[in-house]
Amino acid sequence: MKIGLIIWFSCLLTSTFAQQTITIQFRNTIGNKVLQLGESYENSLGEDLVINRCKYYVSNIHLVDGSGKSVSASNDYYLIDEADSMSKTIVITTSVKQVAVIEFLLGVDSIKNVSGVQAGALDPMNGMFWTWNSGYIMAKIEGVSSVAKVPGNLFSQHVGGFRNGENAARRIRLELSNFKFQISNFIIIEADINKWFESVHNIKIAEHPICHSPGSLAMQIADNYATMFKIVSVN
Amino acid sequence: MRIFSVILVLSFFVTAGIAWVSKDVNNKIIGTPIPFIVPKGWPKPVYDFKNNPLTQEGFALGRKLFYDTRLSKDGSLSCGSCHQQFAAFATYDHNLSHGINNAQTTRNAPSLANLAWVKDFMADGGINHLDLQPLAPITAPNEMGESIDNVLKKLKADTAYKRLFSKAFGDATITTQRTMKALSQFMLLMVSSNSKYDKVMRGEASFILPEQLGYDIFKKKCASCHSEPLFTDFSYRNIGMPVDTFLNDYGRMRITRNTLDSLKFRVPSLRNVAYTAPYGHDGRFFALMNVFEHYRSKAVNSATTDSIFKNKLALSNFEIGQLTAFLYTLSDTTFLKDKRFAEPGTENSIPSFIHLH
Ligand code: HEC
Ligand code: HEC
Repeated sequence: MKIGLIIWFSCLLTSTFAQQTITIQFRNTIGNKVLQLGESYENSLGEDLVINRCKYYVSNIHLVDGSGKSVSASNDYYLIDEADSMSKTIVITTSVKQVAVIEFLLGVDSIKNVSGVQAGALDPMNGMFWTWNSGYIMAKIEGVSSVAKVPGNLFSQHVGGFRNGENAARRIRLELSNFKFQISNFIIIEADINKWFESVHNIKIAEHPICHSPGSLAMQIADNYATMFKIVSVN
Repeated sequence: MRIFSVILVLSFFVTAGIAWVSKDVNNKIIGTPIPFIVPKGWPKPVYDFKNNPLTQEGFALGRKLFYDTRLSKDGSLSCGSCHQQFAAFATYDHNLSHGINNAQTTRNAPSLANLAWVKDFMADGGINHLDLQPLAPITAPNEMGESIDNVLKKLKADTAYKRLFSKAFGDATITTQRTMKALSQFMLLMVSSNSKYDKVMRGEASFILPEQLGYDIFKKKCASCHSEPLFTDFSYRNIGMPVDTFLNDYGRMRITRNTLDSLKFRVPSLRNVAYTAPYGHDGRFFALMNVFEHYRSKAVNSATTDSIFKNKLALSNFEIGQLTAFLYTLSDTTFLKDKRFAEPGTENSIPSFIHLH
């Protein structure tokens, strides 16, 4: 009886502690070109642009296994910053063995938007926080485009908002099933910046060089960035 | 196998034990706790003290930060420059306050008091937590014009701060979060609850006749918005002030983008109102008389004007006199002279009325 209990207990322990690590790497592209800050590109709407800043939050990462069970894989908040290559790699540990779907929130949940001053990736010092109208910028792109009729041709699209009807965070769901459940320890997710401008809505830089508050424009860009991600490799 | 399981079980308890002990260390309050006393009959504060327990050390750090001009880009302004104690922490005699480089704020600096009861800050309610409020003036180009990054760099370069952060938080790490929490600790303790009005309510004093008559009128005509004991219900109302065409400030609408909120501003507290002139979100009323004059004869009717002011508010000269007498009972000299809130080192000097122009 006693031994049985101990064995049962140790089995329980080994199964809960049998964790594997998964490395997720984010790669930003414009169409089929890998994004380089400061380089000139043309987006799919035919507008020229140079991107100087590209940052977004990834949080609430969940993994779904083959049976459809969704398990939280990280309670952390990650700020993916194109200018900081370290920030583009996320390492998580999970007990899920065969990952069928990766889910994450692009942005910061509303609770963290109303819970006062945060630390780490959510430190307001990171420039992803509106101080006059409390709330996180979920994602931002800043750059130069000849079509941006603003001083210095500097366009700047900061997308945020957490209130009902204006919530710019988007749940992203990416299937790995195409990869036939290969050993999923290293996953590359591509974000195609073209989709930021052209997807569900057409966001012409010429028409919208500036987005600095929550609202309908931010919601449209958010609908677009919700479609920006895809898994390109798993091994 | 059996030994293996025993080891596993044992190691489980050891790990759990370590986790338990270290959790205990994390939860330990550093420093000397200060109790937050809720005045009798007041509502429960909205600030969550669990996430930022008040201590002598945290308060002392917050006080130093509040009066430190290094929080501004050119070292010319501290929080205390715009929030002056002798003006109940509003800016004395200024409709708008001065920022760096001859810039001006776009609103009148309000009195700071009883902030533990405030949920949303600023005249438009745009800031949703006291811990976040200081970030706005620090980074606004027309106020302190500095980056958070630079502020932290300046603080880190000062060994006195390293010591103070250590005492307040257990180690010398200086972060945005700790800086903001210390500032909050200082501001949270700025409770004004010892005016004549409070003493009357506690049965320690009594109103003279004009004050009592004023109180009766107040309860009829004003208290629906300026409700006791904080003298605001924190709602957003349009009291019929036409928009200033230079400032184009539409108040709450800036935050909600809802036209129904156009020209609505948060109801301000009237505590210490005798000390906080000028009045109104842009300081356009230089004296209480101007506010009364507005209420009874100048309020403009627009789609969002509060129903109470649609036909202006009937106020006789007699009533204005009584109301003024009552409003003066909201002055709390204990608060205005409380040495704990004075700039460190100036506690014993007479408050200076010299200010920037
Ligand atoms: C240049 C002048 C200026 C400086 C410097 C300044 N403030 Fe203010 N403060 C204001 C003005 C003006 C407002 C009102 C803003 C509004 O309503 O939009 C305000 C509002 C506030 C409020 C909100 C009060 C309420 O009831 O909503 C708090 C709290 C506050 N300030 C604290 C601080 C702290 C802490 C600092 C230092 C980090 C500081 N202020 C620096 C001018 C200033
Ligand atoms: C319908 C709600 C409402 C009623 C009723 C009301 N007020 Fe106000 N009061 C406000 C609002 C809102 C403001 C701020 C307006 C602004 O800044 O744009 C204000 C501002 C003031 C101010 C200026 C305070 C400051 O610090 O700037 C005074 C003084 C004042 N009210 C006194 C009174 C008195 C006295 C009465 C009764 C005769 C009264 N109010 C009735 C909503 C109201």
